[in-house]
Amino acid sequence: MKKNGKLALLLLLSLMIVLSGCTLSTKNDVKETPAPTDGEPVVDGTPVTIELLGMSSNEADLNIVRDQLTKNGFNVKLNMQADYGSFKAQQDAGNYDIALSGWTTVTGNPDYAVRSLFKTGGDYSILADSEIDALIEKASTQTPEEFQATYKDFDQKLVFDNAYIAPLYSSLKAQALNQDVLNLDSVRISKSRSLPWEEVDFKDTSKRATDPLILQSTMPTLTSLDPIKGNDGSINIINTNMYVRLVNLTDDDKVTSVGSLSYNHAIADGNSDYYFILRDDINFAQIKDKKAVDTGERVGADDVIFALNRAKDKNSVPDHRTYTLHEHIKNVEVVTDLAALEGVNVSGGSDSVKAALEKDLPTKISGLVADKNQASTKDGKYQVVKLTTTVPFPQVLNYLAHQSAGIVSKKQVESINTYDVEKFDVNKDIPYGDQNTVTEGSQYNNTLYTSGPYILSYKNDYEAIFLKNPAYMTGTDHAPRIDNIKIRFIKDADSSLAALRSGEIHLFYGISETKFDVVKGDSKLALQTLPSNAVSYLLFNTKNRPVAESADLRKAVLYSINQDEFLAYYGGNKFKAVSTLSPLVNTGLELKADAAKVKEHLNAYKASK
Amino acid sequence: MTNTTITKQEIRFKLKSSSEYGQASFASIVSLLLAVVFLLNSYSPAEGSFKPAVLAVSIVYFFFTLLQFATWYLIRKNLVEGGEIKRSTRAIGYVLMLSLLSANVFVAATAFQLVKRKKNAFYTLAAYAFITTLLVFAVSALNVFKPYVADNFIIGMLLLIAAAVIQLASLLLVAKYGDRDVLPRWMGIIALLLILTAVSGNLFALGLGLLLFSKLRDKDYTSGSKLGEVVEKLSRSSTSMLGLMFILFLLTISITSYLTFDYGLAIENNYSSILQPPSLVQPLGTDNFGRDLFSRIVFGARISLIVGLLSTLIPVVIGGALGAISGYYGRQTDNIIMRALDILYAIPGFLLAIAIIAAFGASTVNLIIALSVGAIPTYARTMRANVLLVSTLEYVQAARAFGSSDRTILFKHIVPNSLAPMIVKSTLTIGTAVISTSSLSYLGLGVEPHIPEWGNILKLGSAYLETHAFTAIYPGLAIIALVLSFNFLGDGLRDALDPKLD
Repeated sequence: MKKNGKLALLLLLSLMIVLSGCTLSTKNDVKETPAPTDGEPVVDGTPVTIELLGMSSNEADLNIVRDQLTKNGFNVKLNMQADYGSFKAQQDAGNYDIALSGWTTVTGNPDYAVRSLFKTGGDYSILADSEIDALIEKASTQTPEEFQATYKDFDQKLVFDNAYIAPLYSSLKAQALNQDVLNLDSVRISKSRSLPWEEVDFKDTSKRATDPLILQSTMPTLTSLDPIKGNDGSINIINTNMYVRLVNLTDDDKVTSVGSLSYNHAIADGNSDYYFILRDDINFAQIKDKKAVDTGERVGADDVIFALNRAKDKNSVPDHRTYTLHEHIKNVEVVTDLAALEGVNVSGGSDSVKAALEKDLPTKISGLVADKNQASTKDGKYQVVKLTTTVPFPQVLNYLAHQSAGIVSKKQVESINTYDVEKFDVNKDIPYGDQNTVTEGSQYNNTLYTSGPYILSYKNDYEAIFLKNPAYMTGTDHAPRIDNIKIRFIKDADSSLAALRSGEIHLFYGISETKFDVVKGDSKLALQTLPSNAVSYLLFNTKNRPVAESADLRKAVLYSINQDEFLAYYGGNKFKAVSTLSPLVNTGLELKADAAKVKEHLNAYKASK
Repeated sequence: MTNTTITKQEIRFKLKSSSEYGQASFASIVSLLLAVVFLLNSYSPAEGSFKPAVLAVSIVYFFFTLLQFATWYLIRKNLVEGGEIKRSTRAIGYVLMLSLLSANVFVAATAFQLVKRKKNAFYTLAAYAFITTLLVFAVSALNVFKPYVADNFIIGMLLLIAAAVIQLASLLLVAKYGDRDVLPRWMGIIALLLILTAVSGNLFALGLGLLLFSKLRDKDYTSGSKLGEVVEKLSRSSTSMLGLMFILFLLTISITSYLTFDYGLAIENNYSSILQPPSLVQPLGTDNFGRDLFSRIVFGARISLIVGLLSTLIPVVIGGALGAISGYYGRQTDNIIMRALDILYAIPGFLLAIAIIAAFGASTVNLIIALSVGAIPTYARTMRANVLLVSTLEYVQAARAFGSSDRTILFKHIVPNSLAPMIVKSTLTIGTAVISTSSLSYLGLGVEPHIPEWGNILKLGSAYLETHAFTAIYPGLAIIALVLSFNFLGDGLRDALDPKLD
């Protein structure tokens, strides 16, 4: 009897489960049955193995790419490196099929967004495609109205026809600041330009002389404080604020003379000659006993000529990192003949260059001088510099606004860089701007001469101390407000945010989208965002890998990428992109994920193997 | 005056010697804590109201807590007055068993112990085996709320039911026949079935099956098996039995998840459900990639357990062998082996693990090796000390006098008698291994980030600690619970295996 009861119980239970099971849908039930492909012979369905290289700081992006590729029939091998150094080492060794890369067009002009990345032989280029090269050259000589079509062709070739890159998204530039301490209106956020330190001010202006402004950076190793020897995140903001340039960029990437070494600038008819009229109220600063002092040496035309000539010359210093930005500069000279300015008209206008240069000046130009010490704005004696480009190239002005075109002291740099460039010995010779000379310790010997609003006094692994240049545009709106700036080196983004919230730092540049909520939830913090020129994309290896040979395989990866999912992940704080040009030029193209195309290209790839 | 103190002492002794009393107070306190936690969780300060579902759970918990407290009081009263627990008090246990339906294992496990007056290892094992299977079934059943279930879900659930039925049947049979000196022969079939159900990972069933077999074979010639003794001693401590149950629960769910859980839900991103709060569909919410945290934690248990167990087993075997050889042969052998291990011991274990991972890359195998290597010296030292002690004992000298070979003496007489401290030590260090695994994953040095592993899940969650705290709390709790379980089990085993406490 008892046994029967148990058996009945068992049966009853099983029945219940089976009945409830009938209403459950299993994974196979909900899986979409693949539509039969017309005419396409079904090649084997084994996943194609692909190696994805990236940095652990981009873990989220890597995971999304991995997920999208896996769902489209790839077997993704993840190669995640802890920092940029090991990432670069892996990339240089060619240990990848696709590398998650990023690019920010810091000059705000489209030529820079493509030249060093995709042109054969470019600084960061691994491509060699003559059609791409031709389009880059063609667009560089065109006006914004004309180059839109050219860049559209370029995007089509680069992304859709050849799939040399697979774009992911373009980003917001975001910074968070402590609005209890800083005056919110004094902190600018610009599309391309680095934050101008001289304008930042405390809410309580009486603290200017006593309290330091505390900023943050992730990289304690500064590539070089010589502006032409570095172009990376460790020094871009620093060098922008240590060296003045002929022109600046506005917050929306228009070239302007405001806050630069020039009062005005003019483009002469023909787009090959560029004129700049210089200020007389900036002196170089130097560090003596860890204090910033005025050297008494004015920043003048000879320094401009010297700085730009060494910027364009690959052999002016060992390990020159920025000459390709300035390869269009043919000649830089000082103009002493006033008639020469009156004789030429500005591009696209009827005014003379002279009229354009003296616009809004307090005193009109009465004479031009060659010696910078004789220049005097109140007497109408000015210095004018003329720059000639190799081809008509209006975008050259954007490059002049880049930190690598910062003006250095001819006298000081020549006295420090006495070594022979060809025989430079890294163990013996100490070049101008070497970070060891400003690092606390036995090698400390600060020889910097800076033309910008601030000068680096010294640094160690924890912080860098900057002091105000006492002779920088004094009495104008551009004179630096705060005496001391301290950059704290904090590697981890979460720690930086914690430091900001605890009041340890005042401004956190480069806050992640996933932390916006935290900043918004804290009443003492303010969040500033602006669409930036930063684009993330997948770069395909061009050597010794299947992706290098097979465009089909590359396209299969390209069409696996679903940018909508990236946007969803980042809560709509990212934007769709097609190439590094997307934030700068609207080419009207869009990448749409397409599983059918992925299958088609994968089959074609497998068939060709 | 003197009279009352003696009575007080007597009362204290009576209460202390009753395992039911201790278990009842433990269960009531833990259950009360859980009820309070649920009550606090049910209140949402933003809306100023209570969530009905969580509130209901809280009320159920409070009900059983009150009942448990009442039982505790009755037990105390019975013990003080009559010296033993009355049948009527024990009968409340049947009501308390219902708390299993609310997943209150603390009260339920106590109830199973309460209803039986004369407990033995069979009964304890059968009860825990049954509770474990039921829990696994209940947790797996949460999957029915998902949009779809794994392909083998129904088969898996049916197998779990079958296992539960077998274990329930054996529980009833053991309760009836377990006390007899000689078991009926057909109990062999039950034992066999139990061992079959142990394939699910429910080692309680395996233990019970083996115990039954040994008793059947034994035919009352000896006083009982060593395993039975250990189980009986272990079951006196509620914490260590609950710890063991949680470990075996994880083991069982790790194995049955091959059938009942869908791996896709744990690793495939779903951008339409990013950072969802806990609900029936996603019982523990979703992470920032829209993956179901519940599935991820269940699959994460697999890796945590495998890495934890293997990275303890490997040093136990290698270190144990080296220590045994070193301790038995002495002199140069001892010197060479132990000095070499001293060098290894001088390197901080966690740094060594980081170095190994950094050199050979992050993968599960490398993770196990990295965590194993650093732990070898401590096991070798423990084993050597035991062997030194045991090899001086009379039975070893007797074996030597009989002319046994060194190998026989070492592996037949010395090693088995030196194992107890090793077992205790290893259960205590598995917890450390689990934490190390999670720590390495948290540092980005463990398994690949998308693989569900508790450290990985915690790492992702920690970024959302302020905005979506549940993403970090649940994996954190899982790690804490597993490590705590191993520690409790280790403590219990130490007491159970220590001959001095007999």
